[in-house]
Amino acid sequence: MNVAKRKLALLLPVLALLVTLVSACGGSNNEGGNAAEPSASPGTPGGTSAPVEGSRSVGGLQVPIVADKLELSLWSPSGGNFRGTNFNEKYSFQQMEENTNIHIDFQHSTEASAEAFSLLMSSGKLPDIIYNDLWGTDSGKYGAQGALLPLEDLIDKYAPNFKKLLDDHPDIRGQITSPEGHIYYLPNLVLDSQDLTQMFPQVRSDWVEKLGLSMPQTTEDWYNMLKAFREQDPNGNGKKDEIPLVTVNLENIMMLFAPAFGVEYGFFVDNGEVKFGPDDPRFKEVVAYLNRLYEEQLLDPNYLVDTTFQTLTEKVTTDVAGAWFGWSGSYMGNFTTLMEGKHDTFKIAAAIPPKGPNGDQRHVSFRWQAAAHGLAVSSKTAHPEEVMKWLDYQYSEEGILLNNFGVEGKSYDLVNGEPVYKEEVTHPTNGLTNTQELLNHTIGGGSWATVADTRYAEQIREANGQTENPLEIYKDYIDFDAKLPPVQFTAEENEIVVPLMADIQTYVAETVNAQIMGRQSFDDYDKVIKQLEQMGIGEVLKQYQTAYERFKGE
Amino acid sequence: MAVPVNAIKAKSRKQRTKRSSVSLKRMMANRYLYLMLLPTVLYFLIFEYKPMYGAVIAFKDFNPFAGVAGSPWVGFKNFEKFFESYYFFRLLKNTFLMSFYSLLFIFPASLAFALLLNELRIKKLKSFLQTVSYLPHFISLIVICGMIIDFTKPGGIINSLLLGIGIISEPIQFLIQPEWFRTIYVGSGMWQSLGWNSIIYLAALSGINPSLYEAAVVDGAGRWKQLTHITLPGILPTVLILLILNVGTLLNVGWDKIILLYNPGTYVTADVISTFVYRRGVMEADYSFSAAVGLFNSVINFTLLVLANRISRKTTESSLW
Repeated sequence: MNVAKRKLALLLPVLALLVTLVSACGGSNNEGGNAAEPSASPGTPGGTSAPVEGSRSVGGLQVPIVADKLELSLWSPSGGNFRGTNFNEKYSFQQMEENTNIHIDFQHSTEASAEAFSLLMSSGKLPDIIYNDLWGTDSGKYGAQGALLPLEDLIDKYAPNFKKLLDDHPDIRGQITSPEGHIYYLPNLVLDSQDLTQMFPQVRSDWVEKLGLSMPQTTEDWYNMLKAFREQDPNGNGKKDEIPLVTVNLENIMMLFAPAFGVEYGFFVDNGEVKFGPDDPRFKEVVAYLNRLYEEQLLDPNYLVDTTFQTLTEKVTTDVAGAWFGWSGSYMGNFTTLMEGKHDTFKIAAAIPPKGPNGDQRHVSFRWQAAAHGLAVSSKTAHPEEVMKWLDYQYSEEGILLNNFGVEGKSYDLVNGEPVYKEEVTHPTNGLTNTQELLNHTIGGGSWATVADTRYAEQIREANGQTENPLEIYKDYIDFDAKLPPVQFTAEENEIVVPLMADIQTYVAETVNAQIMGRQSFDDYDKVIKQLEQMGIGEVLKQYQTAYERFKGE
Repeated sequence: MAVPVNAIKAKSRKQRTKRSSVSLKRMMANRYLYLMLLPTVLYFLIFEYKPMYGAVIAFKDFNPFAGVAGSPWVGFKNFEKFFESYYFFRLLKNTFLMSFYSLLFIFPASLAFALLLNELRIKKLKSFLQTVSYLPHFISLIVICGMIIDFTKPGGIINSLLLGIGIISEPIQFLIQPEWFRTIYVGSGMWQSLGWNSIIYLAALSGINPSLYEAAVVDGAGRWKQLTHITLPGILPTVLILLILNVGTLLNVGWDKIILLYNPGTYVTADVISTFVYRRGVMEADYSFSAAVGLFNSVINFTLLVLANRISRKTTESSLW
């Protein structure tokens, strides 16, 4: 009997996972009830608000923040963008401790961040400050649950630097405010519009030159170019082994072509109205176009199976891939570095967003000024005031320099008032790439609750021999009106959206792929739209519209 | 208790104390044995039974910060959400079919493999075959799936093989065609587990008294008669118990393998309850919902287990309990 039961329990991975989650938070049940209330009320008189002796002002913030060294805990995953071991080993944070007199006890997870994060949150044992890259949707949810501290009042009282940013850039406030009107996290900020572009189409420009073509301007140009890649043997090995368009998922292909037909693969805004791409009659044209690419083997026939960056890298570096859609650094930069010295002509260029048959042309693969990643304050902190001040320091001029460039004299020098990286950083001799070396010194301005400095990417790019900025050309195409802003839902709205979208996403993914691959006809696309209506897309859109209008109103 | 007569009450109390003192005495006598049992009992209490309490979140709107006890009750809402899901019946059908085919093909195949191995008289060949067939069991699932993807590609060995012997004239895109998914799932499952599953049969086979075979040979039984009259009846209880256990997990399919292999092109046949829950509950941190689905799954499994056990006990007298 026991054996049978145990076996049952063992063989139920999903249940088992949940069970762990639940048992993990069993210990916190007693405190659980009080979690919703901050354990110390912010701004109580007699706090530490009196300036510390011998302090100076950084944009209105007095540092050092406290007279006696204070320790705060901060949770963050250590993988991915951050690399490195404990953040206290980064010179920038050591300097920051000296300046603020606050020691940060960094608690790092080693597992994948999303899973580790949800385990942390369900454990109920929270540090003072929490890093996450999904605060855009998570902060409202966890805020409403009482896990996070609403920060608006604290910002007003203790965060002069961040407050000034909010006042100077009024759009940001809406991007980080929950439906209930609370700010639960401080985001990574990008203030220069040219740096907002994230992913863009990339083409083997040496192939384009070799075949006597020019960089594609329209969707028809793209078709012709891909066809030439397929048929005219641009890699010159005598075999028809070229895969003109490669991708790790359908979403990227959609980001490339759907805007040219006036739609998106997901939600977008059309003259102030939120729409769902596959529910729009124009979407049929996208499917028809992609079906044509697929039928003529211009789109990688294995695109549904080869879904890792590794397989894509393999195709690019073995000289068979012609075009793809990806990031500036991790795609374009990476491939260029990998092929250095291994290929005579290998060259990648950025293509502008293609113009569709009806004249639509726009770039929607950009991020908002306020990113979804940043730092939130847990409701359990005993030092809300100090935490807020320390966070504000990240947005002070001093903090921005530390986070982007590191410590002056160690990783950069001031030349005519401009920070310039030292040679050891841009051209390290210790076997690391310059990005990696830089991460020994600093957290990196693009992945922290701070302002990303344009000069950072610029100098690294120049150090890598890329004289022109591939992102510059997108500035003119960025369409802020068409991209759905980071709207947040109330619990009630979520209750409607989540279950309906679970089925709709499945249906759309299934149908669109089948139609692209020609297993299902796209002629009667009306049927798809009818089916979506039946599955409740109208109800979902209503919630989106409400959330969007609430966002606009703020 | 109803209204027992005082005398009976007194008597039974007396008996009880007497009995309990006897058993206490016995326990004291065997105290070291009980001490040795203690860790196991504790293990089950702490790690297997206590967590079961967490399953109540299936009936709650679970909020980690309010805790299990503090989260509001919502009744069967999470179950209703699942049953009302557009794809509910497809998920149920896929889950059932996938496990049913696994049971149908892998279970007898392991038995047949064990019997064949048992008949092998060359010791070295036997252990070689055994080792080779175990190997896939020890390969990480990620690697297995990588191999499956490579094997089934248009240029992979399966296509090359089929093209080579002329069964097909054009390579098949196995992994994007829904009609192939179950075949690949069950086929690779067989490759993975055949050798390993046969171990328990081989163990049961070695437990059969050799004198039975000697006697049978004296009586003039050939290899086939030995198989049907000694070997099969000899391992039948083992086979049945394994079958019951397998039936008890009929709705559990290897979700991780499916997640690594499926894609929107094959959802039609590949999407099962657990993958749906993964996309829906775990990715979106909807714990209560996933718990409800998990609970639904275990209730069905448990019912099947009890049924299979009962049928087996009635018909063959071997059963789990």
